[in-house]
Amino acid sequence: MKYICDVCGYIYDEELGDPDNGVAPGTKWEDVPEEWVCPLCMVGKEQFSQQ
Amino acid sequence: MNDAIKYVGVNDRALDLFEGQYIIPNGISYNSYIILDDKVVIMDTVDKRAKDEWLKNVKEVLKERQPDYLVVSHMEPDHCSNIKTICELYPEMKIIGNVKTFTMMKQFFRDFSFEDRQIVVKENDTLQLGHHTLRFIMAPMVHWPEVMVTHEESEKILFSADAFGKFGALDADEDWACEARRYYFNIVGKYGLQVQALLKKASTLDIKMICPLHGPILKDNLSYYIDKYNIWSSYQYEDRGVFIAYASIHGNSEYAAQELAKLLKDKGVKVAISDLSREDQAEAVEDAFRYSHLVLVASSYDGGVFTPMEEFLAHLKAKNYQNRTVAFIENGSWAPSALKTMKAFIEPLKNITIIDKSITIRSTLSDENKEELKELAETLL
Repeated sequence: MKYICDVCGYIYDEELGDPDNGVAPGTKWEDVPEEWVCPLCMVGKEQFSQQ
Repeated sequence: MNDAIKYVGVNDRALDLFEGQYIIPNGISYNSYIILDDKVVIMDTVDKRAKDEWLKNVKEVLKERQPDYLVVSHMEPDHCSNIKTICELYPEMKIIGNVKTFTMMKQFFRDFSFEDRQIVVKENDTLQLGHHTLRFIMAPMVHWPEVMVTHEESEKILFSADAFGKFGALDADEDWACEARRYYFNIVGKYGLQVQALLKKASTLDIKMICPLHGPILKDNLSYYIDKYNIWSSYQYEDRGVFIAYASIHGNSEYAAQELAKLLKDKGVKVAISDLSREDQAEAVEDAFRYSHLVLVASSYDGGVFTPMEEFLAHLKAKNYQNRTVAFIENGSWAPSALKTMKAFIEPLKNITIIDKSITIRSTLSDENKEELKELAETLL
């Protein structure tokens, strides 16, 4: 599954994760920590939508 | 400001266009502050245009003291331009920012290394200065990713970055709301949701004074300013009334716009009107958000809509225009094309109510058009 940042369009892909920011590949969206933010524009998970 | 908090910002009355597009008849201020305690902090730098005056202000306040920290709230060049200069002047000074601040600092200052003096903070980190304590609060996308605000706990001051900013030098004799509103909608307007998130965080803080990066320090009746920000960022209208924006080639569309304005005024409706070809488009964007109703009046042009209107619509779309009632009047002498072009911009926007009956003028107002204008005035408000 992929989730898109409503603000800047960054896509979180569960398959790829966000290893630069401590989220391992394969991490499900619901398991991404609540304090994780969009690596491009810094907004929180609540401003992402399922793609 | 007081014995411990000093203003070291600079008025710029010579700049004609802020951020390359906004006219500023009364200039702008680049605000910067110094906190003098056991530790000394500089809150942000200023635009490169204001470097000399700022450095003079900083040195006058510091006297023989050395600054311990520079807090960087925002990396836009009108605030960050002198980071390298001040770092070179005070080699012991540390820089406080978040992860994103330093990513951008590297981009803006490619020939200068900050690594040995950077202090990376995150949400709610605090810094003790002596009597004063700074708390850092992230404000992503208000209106850049790295933006953070700082709460000084002992004097209850919010250093609010670009939030609560205003066009105009500090000595400009003008109303706060008008130029703060034009600043807000044109610069921050797209990010209402992010401003709401910041206001929510701010509501948990004890605030007696707001120190923005542009415009006056806000001390009295803070709820007035916070209420305005709450209305603006939640896309509610501020005034029930009609804003008429027109783009007219030969004056016939303008005449129709003025006739509608008269009809509405006669009914006692609050009306604002703007010639998009000649008047400040940023002011028109401000009024579009300010009023509950918008009427777009434009000539057809090259199979689309007259260009000044197209530009205005592009601004509205970019700023997340929403939650309003919109009516259309087009003019066209042979194959009217303005209406469909205007609708194509407005229809996809959120929570827009479109007045069903649009008016099509063929060159000049017909008797039927005059009746349609009366009907529209009745329908609108």
